[in-house]
Amino acid sequence: MNEIEVQYFAVLRERAGTSREIVQTAATTAAELYDELAARHDFGLPQAMLRVAVNDAFAEWSRPLVAGDRVVFIPPVAGG
Amino acid sequence: MGLFAFESGPLEPDRYRESLADPSAGGYASFEGWVRDHNEGRTVERLEYEAFESLAIKEGECIVLEAVARYGVTRAACVHRVGSLGIGELAVWVGVSAAHRGEAFAACRYIIDEVKHRVPIWKKEHYADGNSGWVNCERCAAAPRHVGPDHEHAHGHADADGSAATPAHDYSRQIALPEVGAAGQARLAAASVLVVGAGGLGVPVLQYLAAAGIGRLGIVDGDVVEASNLHRQPLYGPADLGRPKAAVAAERLRALNRDVRIEAHEAHASPDNIDALVEHHDLVVECTDNFRAKFLVNDAVLRAQKPAVFASVHQYEGQLQVYRPLPHWPCLRCLWPEAPRDGLVGNCAEAGVLGPVPATLGALQAMQALKRLLGLDAGETPSLVMVDLLSLETRRLAARRNPGCDHDNPGRDSPPAEQPLELEFETLAAAFESGLELVDIRESWERAHDPPGLQIPSHLPLSELVDGHAEFPAEGRYLIICAHGVRSLSLTEHLRSRGQAEVYSLRGGLAALRG
Repeated sequence: MNEIEVQYFAVLRERAGTSREIVQTAATTAAELYDELAARHDFGLPQAMLRVAVNDAFAEWSRPLVAGDRVVFIPPVAGG
Repeated sequence: MGLFAFESGPLEPDRYRESLADPSAGGYASFEGWVRDHNEGRTVERLEYEAFESLAIKEGECIVLEAVARYGVTRAACVHRVGSLGIGELAVWVGVSAAHRGEAFAACRYIIDEVKHRVPIWKKEHYADGNSGWVNCERCAAAPRHVGPDHEHAHGHADADGSAATPAHDYSRQIALPEVGAAGQARLAAASVLVVGAGGLGVPVLQYLAAAGIGRLGIVDGDVVEASNLHRQPLYGPADLGRPKAAVAAERLRALNRDVRIEAHEAHASPDNIDALVEHHDLVVECTDNFRAKFLVNDAVLRAQKPAVFASVHQYEGQLQVYRPLPHWPCLRCLWPEAPRDGLVGNCAEAGVLGPVPATLGALQAMQALKRLLGLDAGETPSLVMVDLLSLETRRLAARRNPGCDHDNPGRDSPPAEQPLELEFETLAAAFESGLELVDIRESWERAHDPPGLQIPSHLPLSELVDGHAEFPAEGRYLIICAHGVRSLSLTEHLRSRGQAEVYSLRGGLAALRG
């Protein structure tokens, strides 16, 4: 199990009810972590619509995660 | 040789002239100011020039750059004498090289006139009768006057008819920045910026760019001012309700800074107008509230190879992204390869927003635009900046070009619709008579505020369609309606992509209907 810091924005923050959490996870990639958290928080947004950033840079969903990574899930935003 | 210089010894016009030579120049015009032997009836024997050199050089450079930008000449320069001069000596030299003589003469005239008015140089005349006096300090106002393309000659004191002219717009606090200076101000005066959307983001963008003295500002917005706009768009007031936003904004901005040429385009950005608009400006600031327009602008700036500043807000958060036409630089589609559908994530009407959220992001957009125009973004790498106004946290995520994103054929994957996606009706009654079944996809709380006469019996809230709690009927001919025509257009596109041919979106939504 790895300890990962996760941050949420926009609709994901609303669904998760928090903008940040520390999770203990067996997920080995960003995609697996999203699946796990989407099920827990009932996100309802398909992964294809989102982008993920690891340690302040955009990353591939297949990127392996290591303990201490900071992961941000980013939905697109349109308001103006 | 610099653009503007002082010499304490005799001027050397031949040497200066050589510095203006250029293979593309087809002409050269110069002006020489000489010391004459009389002034206002008194015989002058010699004179002295004194200058506040540090300020004068900045202002002089600014004038020369303005002339280059205004008249499109090849090169220009000005040299002024200081110290003691005898009769017949050369006091000031201006030279301009250009492709054609007309611009060369005009730029030359502009430079000498503006130098006489704006550069802090004082002249002391020594007369034949032994007296002397400081005369002819033509610098008018304490603040330098800067000009836009529609420049009118006006100074910070009473005009000949006695009426007080509007004081010159004062840029001294931004010119004082070492990175800006007079040369930076001239760059802003020579620049043009297109602002797409004059709403929550667009209002601060327009205000700050106009105040900063951008030469020309284009405003694109097809909406009218609505009461629900006012809390986050304080450029507008209750008296403006129902008036076109672009026109009202243009009026306010002209009053704010008459140096700026304001061009109002009372239309939504569309595939028909976007390329011409983008082509006509140096930089684009994208301030709309829908993905459709954002991707339309993205594709147009890629085609035109122009820089653009994008931003969006959602409740208490915002995102900011700059596009630059550089080979390694990511565009909006690089970050969002699957163009998101409007309505799937909330816009301001559905999700709610506090005014300072778009204001913060709009101010950041104005800042990014100024940095680009002034060349202050040299070390900046591509990124998506995320701002959370609740936690006051800002996060800058490094972004990379997506190798699968074809910048030479932006947006090629979205096929053109064979049938129009949108239909226009003047009244709801006319829409009812069209033979299409009307479907209101607004949320229930939006319908609660409807005035009498606007009830649409068929109601399918978009949120329920998105959640899967409701299904859009597969058979039939429908006109889909929402408040502004953004969500309805998105749903129409989605249904068309599923093969449903007879669905249309009410263009502009209920807001566009009369009565």
